[in-house]
Amino acid sequence: MSDDAAIETHGLTRIFRRRWRGGEVRAVDGVTLRVERGTSFGLLGPNGAGKTTFVKLLLGIVTPTAGSARLLGVDFRRPEARQAVGYLPENHRLPSYWTAAGLLDFAGALSGMDPGARRRRIPELLELVGLREWADVRLSRYSKGMLQRLGLAQALIHSPALLFLDEPTDGVDPVGRQQIRAILRELEERGVTVFVNSHLLGEVEMFCREVAIMDHGRIVASGKVKDLTAGKGYRLTAARVPEAAFEELRALAVTAAYRDGLAEFQFRTREEVNRAVDLVRAQGGWLESIIPTSSTLEEVFMRTVRAEAGEETR
Amino acid sequence: MSARQAWALVRDTVREAGARWVFWGFYGLSTALILFFLFLLRIDVIEGARATVTLFGETSPRAVPVERLVRGFQGAVAAFLYVAGMGLAIFASAGLMAAVVEPGRIEWLLSKPLPRTRLLLWRFAGNVLLVCVNVSYLVVGVWLILGSKTGIWDKSFLVAALTTTFMFVVLLSVVTLAVVLTGSAVLATMVAFALMVVSPLLAQHRLMVKLLDSEFWRDVWRFLYYVLPKVFEVGKINMDLLRGRPVESWMPVWSSALFAAVVLTLALVLFARRSY
Repeated sequence: MSDDAAIETHGLTRIFRRRWRGGEVRAVDGVTLRVERGTSFGLLGPNGAGKTTFVKLLLGIVTPTAGSARLLGVDFRRPEARQAVGYLPENHRLPSYWTAAGLLDFAGALSGMDPGARRRRIPELLELVGLREWADVRLSRYSKGMLQRLGLAQALIHSPALLFLDEPTDGVDPVGRQQIRAILRELEERGVTVFVNSHLLGEVEMFCREVAIMDHGRIVASGKVKDLTAGKGYRLTAARVPEAAFEELRALAVTAAYRDGLAEFQFRTREEVNRAVDLVRAQGGWLESIIPTSSTLEEVFMRTVRAEAGEETR
Repeated sequence: MSARQAWALVRDTVREAGARWVFWGFYGLSTALILFFLFLLRIDVIEGARATVTLFGETSPRAVPVERLVRGFQGAVAAFLYVAGMGLAIFASAGLMAAVVEPGRIEWLLSKPLPRTRLLLWRFAGNVLLVCVNVSYLVVGVWLILGSKTGIWDKSFLVAALTTTFMFVVLLSVVTLAVVLTGSAVLATMVAFALMVVSPLLAQHRLMVKLLDSEFWRDVWRFLYYVLPKVFEVGKINMDLLRGRPVESWMPVWSSALFAAVVLTLALVLFARRSY
């Protein structure tokens, strides 16, 4: 294993055995993954795909059944592996008896920071997440969005080199989301590796440079966002397309549908769309538009997950 | 760094206790007892040897030896503390121990760079500190008041703080194991209370062994007696020490300590391996 990677896993596996019903669930199934330092990385997957378990495995919250991993070059089983790691858990319940400043102080102390460093860092962080005026207010009075921003602040208290965020924008309003994205961008510019677990594909697409798609505990696709979404094509929209022509075009197209009285087709190549244009015009149809398209991350995700589901049923 | 983390975890426990009414109730009860001895109970010492007691304006009809009077009050406080105080302490502490393994919080704590055993151990220590301070506050407070009112400074009463804290540690280890296994404060409290309740029954092992017909059940009874913590007998040792009587056997103390050590170690080992 190389020390250049922020995260490196080999065959990481976690099997949960059902105590009463018998059988087992392979929550994480032999995942081998490498995330370079300084990368913004998104882990996508449907609910129950094993994303959260994977992160918990890396952080020692869940014990592995098999496999190995290193965080910033340190064996993930050792507490020191988490020394330069920040974590914002999904559905966290930060102790409500603390104030924001108190909680950050506690989190800093647990990360081994000395009191002077904590005193300097806390106001900076509260300013960063827009909670400076709330520093001395108990968390029991915070809204969900405020708690989420504070959760991010506590993950950053010790200036980590690797940051795990599980659904970071969950419960945050659009302004707050933008704020969080801006913070993450800044961190990335400073060379912090950011690992985001999210089901919000748009969020991930906007922020992450690399992604992996997880399904049934396995990584089914991974790569740079721009490479994964590079599948270019053309969308043809036409009116008054006769049924016979529609069926002929459907056979040629990737997708075909009627929407608001208009026929919509997605083609892969320029040749295909030109043939389609000829056919529509020859059959008396009216062209509405031809738009060059690239796949969105959502399309890639849906395609991958559906393909996996197909594999499963076969 | 570990000292910093340890202090942070103890501070967190104290802070959480401060946010719970049951801990304030616990300290409030101790304060009420201290105030009772301070203001409501008047002791008039006659010629340094005998004394009368006045409570709510009613004076005792005859004078009793001062030393006996003081020992009586101290015995009552020690017994109250050992039974009711400890019950309340267990009730309050089970919630604090269970809070650590709450979903949404445990993940956050475990992601910090410290060994799991330390996380649980320092929460345990924070709990013990809270109870130890409260118990000492009550015992030392009552000792000072009775001493200053009667001039009798019987140090054996101070042992009550030690024995009560000791048995609390034993029962807290059971609570810790139950919390690690189930995550439930209610169940953990029930298990600890059950041990308190069965202890006087198990203490009658000599009699029970004679009464039981089956050798199997006699062995079961003996096994439970020797293995489980001897809450009742340590309480008896507490009273013996208080009254200046010789202690028959220290076995209940060391066997309970051994039990606590085994149970706490088991809790730590399981906690270190568990997935959350």
